[in-house]
Amino acid sequence: MAVVEVQGLSYTYPGADSPALKDISFQVEAGQLLAVIGANGAGKSSLCLALAGLIPTLFHGQMQGAVTVCGLDTRQHHPGQFAGRVGLVLQNPANQLSGMRYTVYEEVAFGLENLGTPRQEMPARIENALQQVGLAGLGERSPYTLSGGQQQRLALASILAMQPNVLVLDEPTAMLDPQGSQALFTIIYKLARAGTTVIIAEHHLEWIASFADRVIALAEGSLFLDGAPGEVLSSPRLLQAGIGWLRYTRAAHLGQDRGVWPVNRALPVTLNQAVKGFQTAQLYLPGQEQDHADPD
Amino acid sequence: MPYSLYLPGNSWLHRLHPLTKLAFSLAAAVIIFAGPGEWLSAALPGLLAMLLLWRAGLAWHVASVSFRLLALLSCVLFLVHGFFNPHNQTILLALGPFAIGVEGLAFAALVVLRLAATLFASLLLVVATHPAHLVQALAEARLPYGLAYLLGSPLLLLPQIARRVQAIRDAQQARGLETQGSLLQRARALFPLAAPLIFSALVDVEERSLALEVRGFSAHHPKTSLKELADTPPQRLARWVMLLLAGLLFIAGVWSRTYGGR
Repeated sequence: MAVVEVQGLSYTYPGADSPALKDISFQVEAGQLLAVIGANGAGKSSLCLALAGLIPTLFHGQMQGAVTVCGLDTRQHHPGQFAGRVGLVLQNPANQLSGMRYTVYEEVAFGLENLGTPRQEMPARIENALQQVGLAGLGERSPYTLSGGQQQRLALASILAMQPNVLVLDEPTAMLDPQGSQALFTIIYKLARAGTTVIIAEHHLEWIASFADRVIALAEGSLFLDGAPGEVLSSPRLLQAGIGWLRYTRAAHLGQDRGVWPVNRALPVTLNQAVKGFQTAQLYLPGQEQDHADPD
Repeated sequence: MPYSLYLPGNSWLHRLHPLTKLAFSLAAAVIIFAGPGEWLSAALPGLLAMLLLWRAGLAWHVASVSFRLLALLSCVLFLVHGFFNPHNQTILLALGPFAIGVEGLAFAALVVLRLAATLFASLLLVVATHPAHLVQALAEARLPYGLAYLLGSPLLLLPQIARRVQAIRDAQQARGLETQGSLLQRARALFPLAAPLIFSALVDVEERSLALEVRGFSAHHPKTSLKELADTPPQRLARWVMLLLAGLLFIAGVWSRTYGGR
């Protein structure tokens, strides 16, 4: 069942000359982990805002097409009606703190209070959310004393406590160090495997290759690729769009020229695929019969 | 919490309903600036605030914060009014072409007293009230939630602003900007520090408002709260009494200034 349906979405910000999103259509099934990739300015953030119900209502630009999330049309409902159904995590951890709470525990409660959650339900939901993101012992700490990675996990916990059907993450690791990024990726993957629908705009292609169910690629506001990670991330069209390939894909592509990777074999997008592929590959000359085992 | 004026605690002042403390601060401000008998109206609310703060164990903290905020300003006021107040007639000390007048010093003392008293009464609210509880209390008093947030946000966002000021100062110092030293040097450093602060704050406003929206800030549900704010009939009565008293003293002050031959 599709929880997100995007039909012919085009959107132009007020005062902009060209649209940020151009005729985008796709659906996301419940429980799917969808990755959105694209160069800077490709429209990833705009798409995330549209999926969270913030575009067009808060931005007042020109929108064509329709976005339906959890059965609600974003043109006909206020962003407040999407809170609790769609959670959005942004890039900058510090800007996502409400600024209204002195402890981590209270910070997580902020969204619940806004949704009118009964007071007696709050402790269990807060503790569960903090547990999910690995901040269970830090409930009494000030949000401002946390590291960037911990603050981003707090932002995620604040959203998770609201129990959204769809989780949208707009480059959540953009301002984190590798350790913080890895911790966050692990949590996101666990959430997705537990059945949460996750849509993540991300530059970490390696993580996407390993864990996403599906990938869509944007360039200049248009969706130009939509498919499985292996298919999308090895497409030559990523090079034209300025996204580039993973090093394993590049290595195998070079290997094709030098006769160590068969031209008719799919290019790898993970380390495992590359290792297995190179292990089983044999030197061959163009025109020779090739018989290679599938590296997967 | 660094940079915040709020001192977490459980004193009787902390336990008072935020609106009670707000009513005290507002009533004090009205009496200090508009009550009859300038010196008495300025002094009494400040003394009362300090007494209440002392009972709550917060007096030294408030005195220290107030001193830091007022020391330089007070010196400037005494100097300016001592030397240049146009009402100066009684000369206390003559220094060549300059003379310090008693009337100017008295006026400066009144201004400093009013500022100190207002600060004490305001800090009584600020140091003993969780900003979120103040916003919650205002919202529960049927003030629109957005307006309540707007009123509380200067207190709430203080730590973030202070942290950003520190980051900008570090970055500018790394590029050779002198932020210490003489008054002139500090004044010169003001623009390179203030401009990035203002521009970055404006840039952040959009993302911050989006983050609030996705957490249901403008959701039309009736809001709940993690903690219940205890209120009592005596406190409700005290609030009305304080505001009524402020109103009466305001009228008395206006009357005395208009007809009292001031």
